[in-house]
Amino acid sequence: MKNNNIQNTVFRFVVFFLITFLSVDLRAESEVIDFMRNSGKIYSVVAVVAVIFIGLAIYLFRLDAKLTKLEKRINDQ
Amino acid sequence: MNIKGWWWKILGVLIYLYVIIGGLTVPLKPGVLKVDPASANTGTKLELNITGYNTHFSDATENKAWLKTDSGHSIKARDIHIVDDMHAQLIFELPEVLPPGEKVQPLTLIMDNEKDGAFVQPNAIFVKAKENTTSGTEGWDEADFGHIHTADGIAFPYRNILHETIRNTFFHVALWFAMFIMLIVGLVYAVRYLRTHDYSYDIKSSAYNKTGILFGILGLATGSIWARFTWNTFWTGDVKLNMTAVTLLIYLAYLVLRGASSDTDKKAKISSAYTIFAFVAMIPLLFIIPRMTDSLHPGNGGNPALGGEDLDNTLRMFFYPAILGLSLIGVWISTLVIRYEMLKERLFQNQK
Repeated sequence: MKNNNIQNTVFRFVVFFLITFLSVDLRAESEVIDFMRNSGKIYSVVAVVAVIFIGLAIYLFRLDAKLTKLEKRINDQ
Repeated sequence: MNIKGWWWKILGVLIYLYVIIGGLTVPLKPGVLKVDPASANTGTKLELNITGYNTHFSDATENKAWLKTDSGHSIKARDIHIVDDMHAQLIFELPEVLPPGEKVQPLTLIMDNEKDGAFVQPNAIFVKAKENTTSGTEGWDEADFGHIHTADGIAFPYRNILHETIRNTFFHVALWFAMFIMLIVGLVYAVRYLRTHDYSYDIKSSAYNKTGILFGILGLATGSIWARFTWNTFWTGDVKLNMTAVTLLIYLAYLVLRGASSDTDKKAKISSAYTIFAFVAMIPLLFIIPRMTDSLHPGNGGNPALGGEDLDNTLRMFFYPAILGLSLIGVWISTLVIRYEMLKERLFQNQK
């Protein structure tokens, strides 16, 4: 159980940092915006694809974690 | 591993891979990025500096250019100086008078060569009539451009402001279509639960609803990024954005509702009934209200959607597969959740 708590805390931190990192990066300062506007704004499309990929990945990781928990409970019985 | 049960999962991934690769690599049609100066007076010699996008001015030998008024009159460029593939200077002799109409008229720039085909920049330059002149058509030709080239190969439409972000149609817009499909499946299972009281239907309903909510949240996030680079802000007061946020909040309340009750039977009944309410609430919020007012989104207010250059046949080649691929992936994720919940349910029953 203790191990699980640590995992959860780590997971929360990772998500928190991902979100802050992403939002800081996008809001950022004109340099990033200028970069994204280059080449006909193609990098904003890349960012969109990345967000979809990260979103699906986070959802699957959470499902993975829930399954691991369930496996443990079955093994404990 | 049984391939019979797997084919649609592989199909979904392959289709989405095709969309990502094709959607990111097919080039954009040529277009005009910048026109300088932005305005001129009648009766002057106009040196128009053009910055093109994906153009091949120096490769092409038959560069031609025209300026056209809304009334259908045009003048042809007297001279074209090619700087490089992307830059050219067009020399026009503007006539002394403007065709009948406003005192200041927007002119459409039309360029044509055998490499790029013809492309158009609406409202490229505003021409102002001299004081005390009457309008007339001397110096203007009837708009007739003779032979105009068409480019070979597939390319996405070039749209002002959108530029390369038109590719987000495959990613951002397809997410909403896939979300809608997931929520429909969730609704069907909710109704089936209420008719049969078979708990497995409630599990299925909630899994599809969750995937729908995931797609909705991703849709908001991706739309926000797209808006930053086309509308210049992460969030606008646009009706469609706010109504979507309301819809997602209604569906998030569904998750809270499910989490609040520990009694299986009660939870299933309440959340199935709530699914019907949430789905019915979504219809006016997403499909009716945004169409009644002006909106930045195509397909709402005065904006056309799924027609013209907003969704032409080259975009359709990737847009429809994107919806299909994403929906299959969504079904896959949902079945994983369903299998997890079923296992958990069986475990609980064993413990009782």
